[in-house]
Amino acid sequence: MRSAVPLGFAAFSLAGCSSSPLGYLDATGPVGGPIARLGWGLIAISAGVCIVVGILLVIALWRGQRHADLEIKTVDDTAAIRWIGVGVAISTVFLIGAAVWTLVTVRQIRQPASATALSLDVTGQDWWWAVKYRGADPAQDFTTANQLVIPVDVPVQINLRSRDVIHSFWVPKLGGKMDMIPSRTNVTWLQADKIGDYRGQCGEFCGLDHAFMAFDVRVLSKPDYAAWLDRQLLPAAVSAGEPGFKTFMVRCAVCHTIRGTPAGGILGPDLSHFAERETIAAGLLPNTPDNLVNWINNTQTLKPGAKMPELHMLAAETRDVAAFLEGLK
Amino acid sequence: MRVLLAVAAMTAATGSVQAQSSPAQSSPEQSSPAQASFSGATASFAGAGQPGEWTSQARDYANTRFSPLDQITRETVGKLQVAWTFSDGTQYGHEGAPLVVGDTMYVVSPYPDTAYALDLSQAGPAIKWKFDPNPSPQAIGKACCDAVIRGWAYADGKLIYNLLDDHTVAVDAATGKEVWRTQMDDVAKGVTMTQSAFVADGKVFVGNSGGEMGVNGWLAALDVATGKEIWRAHAVGPDKDVRIDGTFKPFYDWMKGKDLGVTTWPADQWHTGAGASWGFVSYDEQTKTIYYGTSNPGPRVPLQRPGDNLWTSAMFARDPQTGMAKWGYQFTPHDQWDYDGVNEAVLLDMPIDGKMRQTLVHFDRNTYAYTIDRNTGEVLLADNFAYQNWSTGFDFKTGRPIVDPALEPKPEVKLDRVCPPDIGQKDWEPPAFSPDTGLLYVGVFNICMGLTNHEVSYIAGTPYDGMEMERFSVDGPDGNWGGLLAWDPAHGKKIWEIPEKFMVMSGVIATASDLIFYGTTDGWFRAADAWTGKVLWSKKLGSGIIGQPITYLGPDGRQYVAVAAGVGGAAMVQSGRPGFLPRGNTIYVFSVNGETVQTAADAAPEAIGAVKQP
Amino acid sequence: MSIGRLVIALILLVAVGSATAGWLVMSHRQAQNRIEVAYPEGVAAVVPLGISAGQAPTLNIGVANPLADDPNSVQDGKKLFRTMNCASCHGYGATGGMGPNLTDTAWRYGGTPIEVYKSIYEGRPQGMPAWGNALPPQTVWQLVAYIQSLGGTFAARPVSYTSPSPANPDQASQTGQKQ
Repeated sequence: MRSAVPLGFAAFSLAGCSSSPLGYLDATGPVGGPIARLGWGLIAISAGVCIVVGILLVIALWRGQRHADLEIKTVDDTAAIRWIGVGVAISTVFLIGAAVWTLVTVRQIRQPASATALSLDVTGQDWWWAVKYRGADPAQDFTTANQLVIPVDVPVQINLRSRDVIHSFWVPKLGGKMDMIPSRTNVTWLQADKIGDYRGQCGEFCGLDHAFMAFDVRVLSKPDYAAWLDRQLLPAAVSAGEPGFKTFMVRCAVCHTIRGTPAGGILGPDLSHFAERETIAAGLLPNTPDNLVNWINNTQTLKPGAKMPELHMLAAETRDVAAFLEGLK
Repeated sequence: MRVLLAVAAMTAATGSVQAQSSPAQSSPEQSSPAQASFSGATASFAGAGQPGEWTSQARDYANTRFSPLDQITRETVGKLQVAWTFSDGTQYGHEGAPLVVGDTMYVVSPYPDTAYALDLSQAGPAIKWKFDPNPSPQAIGKACCDAVIRGWAYADGKLIYNLLDDHTVAVDAATGKEVWRTQMDDVAKGVTMTQSAFVADGKVFVGNSGGEMGVNGWLAALDVATGKEIWRAHAVGPDKDVRIDGTFKPFYDWMKGKDLGVTTWPADQWHTGAGASWGFVSYDEQTKTIYYGTSNPGPRVPLQRPGDNLWTSAMFARDPQTGMAKWGYQFTPHDQWDYDGVNEAVLLDMPIDGKMRQTLVHFDRNTYAYTIDRNTGEVLLADNFAYQNWSTGFDFKTGRPIVDPALEPKPEVKLDRVCPPDIGQKDWEPPAFSPDTGLLYVGVFNICMGLTNHEVSYIAGTPYDGMEMERFSVDGPDGNWGGLLAWDPAHGKKIWEIPEKFMVMSGVIATASDLIFYGTTDGWFRAADAWTGKVLWSKKLGSGIIGQPITYLGPDGRQYVAVAAGVGGAAMVQSGRPGFLPRGNTIYVFSVNGETVQTAADAAPEAIGAVKQP
Repeated sequence: MSIGRLVIALILLVAVGSATAGWLVMSHRQAQNRIEVAYPEGVAAVVPLGISAGQAPTLNIGVANPLADDPNSVQDGKKLFRTMNCASCHGYGATGGMGPNLTDTAWRYGGTPIEVYKSIYEGRPQGMPAWGNALPPQTVWQLVAYIQSLGGTFAARPVSYTSPSPANPDQASQTGQKQ
């Protein structure tokens, strides 16, 4: 009865976990699914062990109260030793079982069942994500940022790199964590079996804005994905005459790329199709014109230490640039 | 008294004019070996002007730099002395050849691209006129490798050349007045023009520079009379920009397809993909075809631009009328070490495997010497003319060099030794061809680089570069940095080589008297026997030589040899070595015994009030 | 009892004191980030003839780099020197290439911190781009801090018309050739 309280609390917190964007216990799909099942299984085993041990402890205490003498006897009871043996054996069985299950799961998710049709390079850096799509021929190579768009039911290979410190790539609902180590490439993969939006997060403390280093994963149906890809491959839809374009070229182009224009900086995110992104500043704010103006003006307040400086642009300049960027479909 | 002196001077001048022909007549013929040509190669020499003139950078359309003059022989070359000099006072590399038309020498300086006409009928440099085009100084800092110019062109009484700030200008050869000026590009974006304009078929062909600046490379044809642009062909971008249509017939399958100038690049990256054209253009009058090369791709960091990156580090054959490409060939697909394909094509006809072929010979910066069928683009021969280690061989089926994967650069990983370095084992410096020996004479390097790549942003007007390098001799710290070699283009082999301590980055010329002339970047100007490579004469000049020599007949009937000594450009990679001379700006003109025109006007003044000797 | 109060008072005093000092330091820094473009008072009237290029007091050349002694800024400046493509022109060791050597004591447009700042901010006629629109003052000062760390610049000094003395006497004899 007493053990029901913490148990209920644990169940509640787990339930809360799984309904949040980063909850990993209701994950599905070929990578997330086995991990979630393993998670539940290990929780069940742990809970079972807790319950059994708790009950035995209660019984022992109950029985101990009846023989209230405090005299210490030497243990020569072979039955007691047998009990210890039985306990160790049962634990061993469960532990080995859990280990085998874990290893089998790890092996199961190590590689996709079918060859990956899609391969992405994700490069972590303080504090955002560059995402490079690699096509069959180089003309289908392009770069985006803070957003992975993938087709449903297709295994996606993800090559992980870091430009500065160790980060960790983690989309809780779709797969496990994998570290991103400077000067080496780690490979992981994802597969989503449900269309929808998912959230990713840096899983390794990487400095001041670690908590603000998130990204979106959008899972689209295969035709929607193909259409998205075609849109991405088009050069950015800019008209060189608009004031925001000119201001962007003067103020922002040394760090940001807009494909098909003279803006070719690689220090900040590629903004070629900025308007179709869900969030700005690596998952920090929803992508709206107001938020964008706010972000450009108050970068260091919203995300202290971010590499993007505040340029103290005129109000009109900021407005123009925001309007220009929100037009980049 | 003065009149008397003048008369005496005139007599002396006439005397020397008469005397000049005697050495040629008296020269014994015994040393001329009755040897057969090594390769059997010939050239057409069309477009060469009068025998005593030098009217284009390469002297003829085929790019041979061969002069039919033979007054200066292997016997008299040892008596060459300075006849006169001319300094233009500029401080950048002097890479061009002066032109001689009639009795005038035309000289254009590096930035600020000042033009001079020098009257050869008077003693020394007698300036007829001077033309100052006043280009923008901004161009100085946008030119990757010194504010140079590689010469100019003469056509229809006009001198036509490119200004560093992206204008092509035509100057009246008689008056020095500007005839037309056409803006070709925007220097603020990092585009400069250092190429020598080339005239053929009534058009002037000009190209841009800036392969290190993420430019969009092009070659354009302008009307000689008006400077109006007739066509412009880019090296990157859709077929429309590259001027490719159904008549385009590359020899190899992987270069066939639609919009390869777009699809062999990551999305939209061709805009800054370079492929500039700053080398020499050749022209085949019979088939009406021009040939020219394109520069390295941008950025120089290969990881940022997966794909073959067509049509950079390549060569085009084009119709000069329309600009449409006849064929193309990429020397270094996905060029990872800045091995531009800009080097010139020398158009030669030669027997290969018993069959007479119309070929072009191209010494690429990647260290392969190509003999290519100039009508089809088929590679007939591809052999290393100097040391390299980036390629393990050549696949003749595909026409692609085989790359050693260990020497592919990765960002922030240092490669200790890649040979050749970015400037190749031969840069733009043009070779010479002698129809007597059938050999090509080419100045080469003997160097390697340590290379570290850094990923790089495109920032308009700044370099799109990312290569951190150091260069050193192939043969270690005390090794030679260059040489001059004689190459048999029909068999793809070196016949002999003159080793040089410093890079040989001058042009080479060959004469009918079987002499070749070349200069070194530490200032030696040399004449050698075209058959044996024996150095017959050397003279140390005031600065390193990266100019192109010429030879011409003066109005006095003497044969002169001229070359500019003014080191700069890529030769500055040696500037830290002991023995490297400072920059200079002097054209040296040589003749046998230094004899030259003397006129009454040039008589030395007599001291006034001097006591007359009895 | 009185010791406890004393401790509390001390803690309060230290807290208030350090907060005030911090505020002063920060506001001072911010003030220094602002560029003084006005003529120093009275100077225009006393400019003697014959001042060499880069030494004329069009700027307050007494302005020091607020980040000069901050090792992090020097490091950040060094990184910027590469990522903003400065190294491609001036060389990875800043010893020159397409652009001039920045390690010697020859400065076409002046070698005090504010003059170097101005060259970066405004650009220069022979191809040096203007960075003032793209980089905030803090970033330009970081670049200046890196260039100062190379040893060829001159110390910020009050306006005077004596010839500048190099920050690093070893390099005084070098005559860097600047194209």
